[in-house]
Amino acid sequence: MPKGGPTASFRAALAQRRSRQLWAVAAAALLVVALLVFLLWRAVGPARDRYWERIQRTGEWRVAMDPSFPPFEMLDAEGRPIGFDVDLASAIAQRWGVALRVESIGFDGLLDAVWAGKVDSVVSAMPLQPQFSRDVAFSSPYFEAGLVVVLPSADNGVAGLEDLAGRRVAVEWGSEADVQARGLRRRWPDLQIVPKETAAAALEAVVAGEADAALADHVTALQFIGGGGQARLLTVPEPDGSPRLFTLVSDPYVVVMPKRAPVLQAQVEAALQALAAEGILDALTEKWFGVASPP
Amino acid sequence: MLRAPSQSPVPATRLGRRALPVLGLLAAALLAAASVPRPRLDAGPPQTVISVNPKMGVHTRLTDEVEEWKIKRTLEMVREMGASWVVEYFPWAYVEPDRPGQGEWEHNDMVIRHASAQGLKVIARLGFVPHWARPRDTTPLYLDANGYDDFAEYVYRFVARYRGRIVGIIVWNEPNLSLEWGYRPVDPAGYVEMLRVVYPRAKEADPDIVVFAGALAPTLAPPGTEWGMNDLVYLQAMYDAGAAPYFDALAIHAYGGKFPPDDPADPETINFARAELLREIMVRNGDGHKPAMITEGGWNDHPRWARAVRPGQRILYTVRAYQKVLEEWDWCLAFAPWAFRYPAPARTYQDYFTFVTSDFQPKPIYLAVQAYAQGRSDGEF
Repeated sequence: MPKGGPTASFRAALAQRRSRQLWAVAAAALLVVALLVFLLWRAVGPARDRYWERIQRTGEWRVAMDPSFPPFEMLDAEGRPIGFDVDLASAIAQRWGVALRVESIGFDGLLDAVWAGKVDSVVSAMPLQPQFSRDVAFSSPYFEAGLVVVLPSADNGVAGLEDLAGRRVAVEWGSEADVQARGLRRRWPDLQIVPKETAAAALEAVVAGEADAALADHVTALQFIGGGGQARLLTVPEPDGSPRLFTLVSDPYVVVMPKRAPVLQAQVEAALQALAAEGILDALTEKWFGVASPP
Repeated sequence: MLRAPSQSPVPATRLGRRALPVLGLLAAALLAAASVPRPRLDAGPPQTVISVNPKMGVHTRLTDEVEEWKIKRTLEMVREMGASWVVEYFPWAYVEPDRPGQGEWEHNDMVIRHASAQGLKVIARLGFVPHWARPRDTTPLYLDANGYDDFAEYVYRFVARYRGRIVGIIVWNEPNLSLEWGYRPVDPAGYVEMLRVVYPRAKEADPDIVVFAGALAPTLAPPGTEWGMNDLVYLQAMYDAGAAPYFDALAIHAYGGKFPPDDPADPETINFARAELLREIMVRNGDGHKPAMITEGGWNDHPRWARAVRPGQRILYTVRAYQKVLEEWDWCLAFAPWAFRYPAPARTYQDYFTFVTSDFQPKPIYLAVQAYAQGRSDGEF
C-alpha cells in the first residue's frame, strides 16, 4: 500500500460523499418541515368530517333506532316508524334540508352500528353511557327519563326527598322504584312502602290519598299526568329560584354520533339547542305525553 | 415531621454514609416484595348450594369486574340465592392479548377459584378474538378459518388449566347474528368448521369436559336478512353441515319476551318454550341422547321496552321457569337466566335483566327466587 496523503481520486470521492450527505440532510429537513406543516394544518385547519360531507352530498341522514321503545320509537299499523324520536330526528333533518332515513336495528347493535360506520347517528331513547365515550360521541341530553317523585296536586308538605321520612311511598312491586324505596327505607326506617301491581296503580294511590308520594319513571309519570291524573312532580329550586325537575335516579337520553364527526356533532348540538329555544322539544313532549315537562 | 434540608441535624456526608445501608435494605425489601405474588383474597371454606331445585343457575357477568372482593361477593350471593350453576364469559383476548400462549390468567383464576369455593358448577363461554388472530379492521367477534387453529389452542390451554373445576365450555356466542359473526353474513357451515377444529382439542385437554354448541340468538329473521338467521333454520343448517360429532350438548338462549313460561312453543314466536323446538331439531337429527342447557334467557322488566314485562310478572315467570325446567324438561341440565349483576350499571334496558344491583343490593326478584329455592312461600320478598 503506498504511503503519504490521500490521492486526488480519493479526495474527489470524499467530496462527492459529503455532497450526497448534505443533500440527504436537506431532504430530511424538508420532510420534517412538511410533516410539521401538515400536523399544524390538521390541528388548526378546517375540521374534515366525512359523515357530514356524505350527508350533504347525498341529502340523507342515516339514523338508527330500535322501534320497540314506545312512545319514543315504535311502528304504526303500516310498519312505519313513529314516535318522539322519529319526530325529533325529522325536525333536525328538516333544519339541515336533508331527508331522514331510519334504519331499524336492535338496541344492542345500535352503538356498534355507529362505530362501524353503518349509520350516521342513533336517536333511540338511548341513555347516556359514559363508559363508551371513547368509542362514540354523545350529544347533550334532550330528554330526562329517570326516576321522579310524584305528589298530589295539593301541597302536602313534601318539598324535598328528606320530607319522605315517615311518609307512605307507593311503588310498583319489584320495579326500580321499589329498589330505590327500599334504599330510602334503610335511611328512614319509618318510611312506609305501599307496593302496587303496576306503576299506574302506584300513581293512582297518590291521587286517592292512599300514599303521600309515589316513585315512578318520568315517562310513566308524564303519561299519567297528561292523561288527567291529578298529580304533580317534585321540583327543587335552581339558584335563580326557577323550578328544576328532581330526579332520584337520572336517565338522560342523547343522540349518538361517530367519534370522528366533529361537524356532525356540532350541527346536532346546534339543532338541539335551537329546537329547545323555539319550544319544539316542549311541543314534542306535549304531543307524545300529553303534558310538557316539568309541569 | 418533615424537615427543610438546612435544618438537618446531621452533615450531608455522614447522612449519606448512614443512609446507604438503609437504602440498600429498602431496595432489597422492595425487590423481594415485587417478586412475591399479590396476596389473594381468602376464598373461605368450601360451601354447598342449598336449594330445592338443583337446576337453578344464572349467567354472571364478571368479565370486567376488577376487584376480587366483588367477584367473591357476587358468587357468594349466587350461592345464597340457591343457584348451583353459573355461566361466565372468559374472553380469549383478555388472556392472550398480544401473542399466542401469553397467559394472562390471573382474572380467570380468581373467578374459577371463588366459584369452586362457593360450590358452583361453571360453564365457560369462550370467544372474543385478540387482534393478532384476525385481520385488521375487524371486530373481536370476527374469526375466520385462518384463526380456528389458534382459537383451538386457546381452548386447549383453558380447558387443561381448569380441568376438574369447570363442567363445560360454550364455543362462541350467537353465531346466527351478523353482529356476533364479525359483521359478516352468518355461515352455519363456517361455525361447524370452527367446532370441528376446536372439539378434539378440548377433549384432549379434558375428556370429561362438556362441549356446548349453539347458544343461538332467538330470532325470527326472514331468509336473506342482513342481520341474522332464524335460530331454528340455523340449527338445522348446522346439522346439515355435519355438526353432530363435534358437540356434546346444546346451549340454548330462551328469552320469554312478553310471554309466560307456559306459553306453548311456536316457530313464529319468540318465547321461553321455543327451547322445545330446538330440542325437537336435535331429536330429529339423532341427537336425542344429548342434553341441552339454557345458558341465557329470562325476562326483562324495563318500563318501556316493547319486549319487557311488568316487574311482578318477571318475578313470577322466572320462578315458574325454574320449576318448569326441573319438572318438565328432563333433557335440560339447568336454566341460567341473563344476568345476575353487572360490574357497573349498563344504563340501558339491560339493567332490567339483573337480579342484584351493581352495588350488591338484592332486587325483589332475587329475594323471591331465594325464597323459592329455600322452599318458602311466605314473608316479604
